[in-house]
Amino acid sequence: MATFRYILRDTWRLLSRHWGLSLLTLLTSVAVFFLVGVSFLFVLNTRYLVATVEGDLVVQAYVVNSPEALETVARKASTYDSVSSVRIVTSDEALERLRARLGKQAEAVSLLDENPLPPSVEIQVKRAVFASVIVRELISMPEVEDVVYAGAVVERLERISSFVARLSLVILFISMASASLVLFNTIRISAYGRKEEINTMLLVGATRNFVIFPYVFQGVILGTCGALISAVFLWFSYGFAIETLQRSLPFLDLLTDPGVILRLGAVLVSAGVAVGWICSWLAASRFIRLASRSH
Amino acid sequence: MEIRFAGVTKQFPPDIVAIQDIFLTISKGEFVYLVGPTGSGKTTILRTVTRELLPTKGQVTVGDVNIRKMSSYDLAYLRRDIGVVFQDFRLLPSLTVYENIAFVQEDIGVPPADVKKRTNDVLDRLGLWRRRFLYPEQISGGEQQRAAIGRAIANSPSVLLADEPTGNLDIHTAEEIMQLLLSINASGTTVVVATHNQHIVDAYKQRVVELRKGRIVRDEKKGRYEVDGDL
Ligand SMILES: Nc1ncnc2c1ncn2[C@@H]1O[C@H](COP(=O)(O)OP(=O)(O)OP(=O)(O)O)[C@@H](O)[C@H]1O
Ligand SMILES: [Mg+2]
Repeated sequence: MATFRYILRDTWRLLSRHWGLSLLTLLTSVAVFFLVGVSFLFVLNTRYLVATVEGDLVVQAYVVNSPEALETVARKASTYDSVSSVRIVTSDEALERLRARLGKQAEAVSLLDENPLPPSVEIQVKRAVFASVIVRELISMPEVEDVVYAGAVVERLERISSFVARLSLVILFISMASASLVLFNTIRISAYGRKEEINTMLLVGATRNFVIFPYVFQGVILGTCGALISAVFLWFSYGFAIETLQRSLPFLDLLTDPGVILRLGAVLVSAGVAVGWICSWLAASRFIRLASRSH
Repeated sequence: MEIRFAGVTKQFPPDIVAIQDIFLTISKGEFVYLVGPTGSGKTTILRTVTRELLPTKGQVTVGDVNIRKMSSYDLAYLRRDIGVVFQDFRLLPSLTVYENIAFVQEDIGVPPADVKKRTNDVLDRLGLWRRRFLYPEQISGGEQQRAAIGRAIANSPSVLLADEPTGNLDIHTAEEIMQLLLSINASGTTVVVATHNQHIVDAYKQRVVELRKGRIVRDEKKGRYEVDGDL
């Protein structure tokens, strides 16, 4: 226990002695983890957006005007697993909808003696990728005259989403690599600055671990604090960004669940601990192995 | 602990032979002076005992263990039992005198209360009490030397290796340090002192091992600094 206290005190000495370097490392890791957090949020939001649009995706099959034909198409559509709901829209209903949408101008529609709108079957699809198969099969049915759906848009959205995900992976990789390098280097510099002392400590009987641990803790503290600060930063700046975006682009449906952002924060902090630990351990143990070698 | 050298040679690249064919046994509880001119290999001998240096040839055995074969962990434990006063002191510049003496005890996990008591005791014995909060660069050479001695004895080691422990001290202080080393020896610690201090060697007669160009040329019980023929 006493040993642990000494190690913590030495850690503090390391951090405060090279405080300029410590601060620089801290700022770098804040920036890096912030970047990681932002790219995560970006991915999560595009996913969320795509999912929302997909949820609203409707395949509209226009069918020859007979109740039996409508029934057949509706029954056929319900057989797909990827279909979440099927609904028959009669000509009258379609007219009602048009009226509601057009308002005053709907008077024009009333002038027609006959309802020109065809009945249709509205099919809600769970995911956009399944839509094209259903559309193809529906179109091949004799009862179906035409199929309308916003598939192209959704498919493009999906492609964008997967591109964003890949891009973020690259950003993630680069930022983690640079965070690791900076931490590794900081620990190496602070170990190097105490080369003589490390030698002396080893000569008077300090174990390697006793010498290494302050450096490891130094790295862990820098990594963890960096991640923690960036998570707090992220929390507030995301809140601010959401507020601003929703004021200027109210139709944009963004992720606002605080649970998700809290979890993201937890992920960032764990990453900070892990990166700090691994990098500083590598740097310090390598250095100390060399220092403790007899010539 | 007994220290035994069996045919130890240390050669530094490319061809500097620092010590050659050393056969020497220092028994537990003995007091030995290592004497010899500059560059004769005294420091090198001491450095092989802690395995700071590995012999090019031959074996160094400390307390029945061939230290070449020790794991780094066991070596750390052996080193805790060997107090070293380095010729160049090697005080840690970022620590105060007090901390310099305390840290070797902390390294080995002595509880804080004991560290405090022992360190204060050592500071008192070495007359460094009033300097305890100063850093090495703020104290005189002799005071640094005493701090280095304090660090070496703080853990009450079984073996004390002192390289020129009176080098920076006036005769009066040197004699005080010798009294201290002798009292530590009297309590059972093996003491090896490498020295140029003729006055001390002649005044406190002990076993003398003389080196010339890396070889042992004299090993004498209750010897003088120089054999009469040299005078
Ligand atoms: N790391 C080294 N590389 C090369 N030569 C070395 C090294 N260490 C010591 N030597 C050489 O080995 C010889 C013995 O050195 P050592 O330090 O043991 O002498 P010494 O008896 O302690 O001398 P002094 O009385 O001046 O302290 C010297 O010639 C020295 O130059
Ligand atoms: Mg020497």
